[in-house]
Parts: sequence; C-alpha cells; structure tokens
Amino acid sequence: MNGAVIMESKTNKKVFWGALSAGLLALGILLVSFGLSGVAYAVPIAGVGDFYVEFDKLEGEGYKFYPKLGETSNSDATPQGTNIIEKLTIDNLQLYKDFQVGGEWIRVKIQASKPVQISGLQHDAGLIEANAKFQNLALAENNSTDWTKQFQQTSSTIILENAKLKTHYLFQETINMAGMKLTVEKIDKK
Amino acid sequence: MVFKKWRHTRPFFGAILTVLSGLMILWVPLNLYLSTFLPGSVAVIGLLFGGLITLMGLMSFFLPSASKALGIIVIFLSILSVIGALGGFLFGTVFGIIGGALLTAWRMVPAEESAGTPSSDVPAQPAKTG
Repeated sequence: MNGAVIMESKTNKKVFWGALSAGLLALGILLVSFGLSGVAYAVPIAGVGDFYVEFDKLEGEGYKFYPKLGETSNSDATPQGTNIIEKLTIDNLQLYKDFQVGGEWIRVKIQASKPVQISGLQHDAGLIEANAKFQNLALAENNSTDWTKQFQQTSSTIILENAKLKTHYLFQETINMAGMKLTVEKIDKK
Repeated sequence: MVFKKWRHTRPFFGAILTVLSGLMILWVPLNLYLSTFLPGSVAVIGLLFGGLITLMGLMSFFLPSASKALGIIVIFLSILSVIGALGGFLFGTVFGIIGGALLTAWRMVPAEESAGTPSSDVPAQPAKTG
C-alpha cells in the first residue's frame, strides 16, 4: 500500500498457448518423421502381460536361446525362453493382445503389411509353434549353479515359418515397420 | 495459509505436471532395465531424459525465477524423450509439454496491476483478441 509492492503469481495465457502449440507442433513433426521413415528406436513392449506374435516367415541371423524365469501379467515367475536375434526380417507380422473390458473381449492388434526389419531383438516366450530351420545349430550344456546358464542353443541363421508365439516380453533396438496398422476390435471369446 | 502463500510465489501446477511427466517418462526405461539389462542400448537416453525432466520440475519449485528457461528445456526434453523411452507412452511427453508451457508462461506481477481494475481479471481473457 505505502510503497511495498505486493507481487502476485500469474500465467501469461498468450505465452502459455504459444509454448504449448510450439511444443505440440514439434512433437507432431517428430512423429510424422518417424511415420515417414517407419523407424522406431528402442521399443519395449513389456508390462502388458502375455500377448501373441504371429507371422508367415522370419529370417534371422545370430540366434541365441536360453531358458529363464520371468514375469507375466498373472505371475511373478513363469518359466520362459529368451530368444535373442541380432538382425531379422519378418513377413506378414501380427502382434495382438486380448483384454477383458467389462464382460467383453477386446483385441488390440498391430499389423505390418510390408516386411518388418528389426535389429537387436530380445523376445521372451512361453510357447513357440513354428516350422523351424537352423544353420550351424549348437546345443550346449554348461556346468553352472545358475540354471538359466546350464543350457544354451545358438545358430548362425534361423528361419521360422507359420509361427505363433506366446510372448511375455519383447524388446527391439530398432524396428522398421512400413505399412503399419493398429486396430482395436471386439472379439468373441469364451 | 503458509502453504497457500508458498504455492502462490512459484509455478506450482506447472512444476507438479513436469515432475509427473518426468516420472512417467522414467517408468518405461526403468521397467526395461529391471527386467533385463541391455548394455549399450538406446533406452539409456530415456533414463537421462526422464531424470532431467523430474529434476527440472523440482528445480522450478525452488528456483521460480528460472522457470521460463526451465520450461523451454522441459518442452524440448519431453519431445526428445519419445526416442528411447517412448515418452512415457506419449502421456509423459504431453504432460511435459503442458507443464513446460505453464512454466514458461509463469511470471510474478505487482498485485496492483490487476487489483487496480477489479473486473479486469475475468473479462481480460476474452478481450484479448489478437
């Protein structure tokens, strides 16, 4: 009142909307550039519980498999197998997960119409159904107190056809998904 | 009352949104590193971005005078966090952009400025037409 200036906290709306729209615009540009090149980096699909991966053909190089105990959406420790593939190409890839919402089942599905290129794949599966072909396949037993290190399977190349994999965890260092389509649909499931 | 006074002297909501956004962005790479450790992976960037955004949010609580600069950095990092951390499944990025924009727009003004014209507080907004 008498000389002492009381200060007050204010938000300048013009600056706020300016900064917000600039930020969203930059985000849009980044996402569009991803969309154009189709490349996403370090994509983890974890914590959503088991989901299914289906494809017509997978061709990969540098394959390694070992057993492990891992988390699923229903349990802390379930026996699983870890597949590590350095570089691979997948034809007709489909990833899907079914959720129960109320009394109905909803399927979230990601499809790629063109071949998908992935590098640095780590994939933990509880079930693998496929026609498999390996080159330089080696199965090795190791003397270790850690049971996950007691058995290992490696091969220089791997080809899987008509595969269905029950997956608990998926990680890709880079993935190039041209022609990607995400659908959410209601399904009949008992 | 003390809290209310403290709250009114800093960009409170902007800082809270920023901290929330940082934690969301951190969640993805943390989840990844707890279940598997992949050295040399791009996901380490996610930890860095998420950590920095959380830190910026906390800093804006205690250094309100720097909120403009902090806000700009928060927006920038939130957008970049899409690479490596998926930006907390994009929620973290959007929260970060809103929080950063609030921090950028926050300022202290003399109370008389708005108290001088009592009704200016509400109609001042629609009156601002470019």
